[in-house]
Amino acid sequence: MPQRVGLWQSLYQSLASLKLSVFIFLALAAASVLGTLLPQGITEHELHQNFSPTAVWWIEKLGLHDLYRTGWFRSLLLLLCLNLIVCTLERFPKTLTLLRYREDHIDPQKLLKFAHHKELTSRLPWDDIQERITRTVSKEFGPVRRFDAQGSYSAIAEKGRWSLLMVYVVHFSVLIVLSGALVGSIFGFKGFMNISEGQASDQVMLTEEDQTVHLPFQIRCDNFEASFYETGAPKEFRSDLTIIEGGKESLKRTIRVNDPLTYGGVTFYQSSYGSSVRRAEVEFRDLDSGKTYQLTLPYREPVEIPGTKDRVQAMQFQQNMAQFGPALGLVLFREGLEPSGSWILVDMPQFHGNRIQNYQIKVNAVEQSEYTGLQVKRDPGVWLVWLGFVAMLTGIGLTFYSSHRKLWIWSEPTPEGKSSGKVILAGRTNKNSLAFEQDFAQLCEQLHDELNPDKKRK
Amino acid sequence: MPDSSLLLSITTFAYLLCAIFYLSGVVFRVDRMLLAGTFTGLGTLALQTVGLLLRWKESYQLGYGHAPLSNLYESLVFAAWSIMLIYIILEFRSKQRVLGIFPSLFAFLAMSYASYSDQIDSKIQPLVPALKSNWLIAHVVTCFLGYAAFAISFGISIMYLIKKNQTSQATARGPAALLPDLKQLDAFNYQMIFFGFLWLSLGIITGSVWANSAWGTYWSWDPKETWSLITWLIYAALLHARTIKGWRGNRVAWLSVLGFGCVLFTYFGVNFLLSGLHSYAVK
Ligand code: HEM
Repeated sequence: MPQRVGLWQSLYQSLASLKLSVFIFLALAAASVLGTLLPQGITEHELHQNFSPTAVWWIEKLGLHDLYRTGWFRSLLLLLCLNLIVCTLERFPKTLTLLRYREDHIDPQKLLKFAHHKELTSRLPWDDIQERITRTVSKEFGPVRRFDAQGSYSAIAEKGRWSLLMVYVVHFSVLIVLSGALVGSIFGFKGFMNISEGQASDQVMLTEEDQTVHLPFQIRCDNFEASFYETGAPKEFRSDLTIIEGGKESLKRTIRVNDPLTYGGVTFYQSSYGSSVRRAEVEFRDLDSGKTYQLTLPYREPVEIPGTKDRVQAMQFQQNMAQFGPALGLVLFREGLEPSGSWILVDMPQFHGNRIQNYQIKVNAVEQSEYTGLQVKRDPGVWLVWLGFVAMLTGIGLTFYSSHRKLWIWSEPTPEGKSSGKVILAGRTNKNSLAFEQDFAQLCEQLHDELNPDKKRK
Repeated sequence: MPDSSLLLSITTFAYLLCAIFYLSGVVFRVDRMLLAGTFTGLGTLALQTVGLLLRWKESYQLGYGHAPLSNLYESLVFAAWSIMLIYIILEFRSKQRVLGIFPSLFAFLAMSYASYSDQIDSKIQPLVPALKSNWLIAHVVTCFLGYAAFAISFGISIMYLIKKNQTSQATARGPAALLPDLKQLDAFNYQMIFFGFLWLSLGIITGSVWANSAWGTYWSWDPKETWSLITWLIYAALLHARTIKGWRGNRVAWLSVLGFGCVLFTYFGVNFLLSGLHSYAVK
């Protein structure tokens, strides 16, 4: 089926083309611009508040509010990889051939057509000429490989052959980085945990899904501290952490911003802090019977009021409710009735609203504790990303600072006798032609002086 | 002992002087003016270096102790410094003084924006916890060396486009006659862009290593991060476009102009127009 072959071939050719890469680069850039104009991860509700229905339709259709995770954005990345792979398959064998190729013949006429070439003559003896060419070129440029033919001097000197391979290092590094990101997104997780001082936990809430992950060990926050500069700007946040594995304390470490802890492949970063209620001392006065009860309510755990079938629970806490100061949200569960609740103002015990059903309520103390907010991450692909980064920098650096330079030298004694000769030099570089032009000119001058010692002395 | 702010104020005006020398050298075609530009540039660069070092020392005396690279003011001063440093090296190697107009102008603009904008606070401030990292220094230095090279390449591209226009109208007289020929301009441009690309890559990479140690993600598509990637993609497109037949020259010069636009947006636009993790950079 020749037609199908034609189709495949033209597909392959376009996947190998540099125009496609330039297109992908620009397309990725344009798409990324879109993603920065619209806040990423905003909710459906916010979308409808800020944009017209048609705009919302388009935004949702194209996934612009979560652009970097949409299928079409990822397809662009995939296309980049394909382009890169096909391009490499297409060119790498040619580069290898080029690197292996050793020419054994020079055509002086062709050398004269090079962009950089030079003709020299000399009145020195032929043996001396040959010796001087080799010496000068080896000194100024690099090792000379000779393959003389028919009484002529033919040689090649080359520098930086390996630099032809550096571009492949750069390109391969892109694939490594992207595969590291892929490994991380498949086998890793990212989340956070808030741990009160003195508490331990093994539960991580995931950031991107509504799920928790259980760690195979517990992590306890022994102490959290925030310090500030005189200006009020934050100076340092630190948490003293203990890892508990199999009931034993296996590691104690202090973490700070920029100084995380890694344990069992999971890394903990200091990311936020806050305070939460641990328990409250509350007085209940039954307005019907006149009895009072002093209760200790652990946060979010129901407690029975002794001698009754009523249970109460501290559900919520606010530091400053509607400018009335701290308030504790209590709920009363009574058999056969809907639960009923109210905010109890802590600093205003006389407030008439401090009441649920037949109980007048007074909060005597609220015990708070600070918690540390940890960002938690497991990313088994990160070392691939680092490896790719190192390869990329090495590759780009060496591509920049090196070039492949090649020199062809041909010489022949003039027919009149063996005591004079002419020399043709030609050079070529894969880049940075200007610098090469200067170096080439300088080399020719040196060689000219070497081959014409009497003229130099003048 | 003079303090750093005095030295940096002098620097601002010295760069203006330097730009005037270069510009009048080209406009009036006086080689000596260009030479004066070079010397003023070198002298000012030395002065600015002393100013930066003093500021570093002063931050220790205040008890904060950090490199002068932590806020918008300091980064602008460093931008001016890197542009002139890279430019002086380029001039030394290429022996083309004419190229100095844009770099000296940019250095002056960066310095005067840093000194006179009321949005920018020039006081030495303490570092917030997220910025206490050696990666910060590596990140800022590398990014700005990249931006500086791109600024110079922008100037060369503008010269390329002017020269190209003049040559095609066959009016090879006037100030543009002093400019290097198109092939040379293209070669300098390529060198600057590749150099900038190397540093920008380093900058993005150190930034992501830093983010990984501070926040636990090496890439979070925060607007500033994304814009640096956009810039990087534009220049990657440019490097590849050069190797396509017929794209060298004009299109590459335009891409370089576009790329520098992205640099400016990454630097200012994101701070003032978009919000993200990097919003500390304002003030
Ligand atoms: C993010 C991805 C990429 C990066 C960072 C990258 C980087 C580079 C760099 C730094 C160079 C050297 C440029 C020079 O010597 O002037 C280069 C050259 C090259 N790139 Fe890429 N590249 C990428 C993707 C691609 C893709 C997808 C292709 C597919 C066709 C490609 C094809 C080439 C070719 C053929 C060259 C050699 C040009 C020459 O002969 O000088 N690159 N690349």
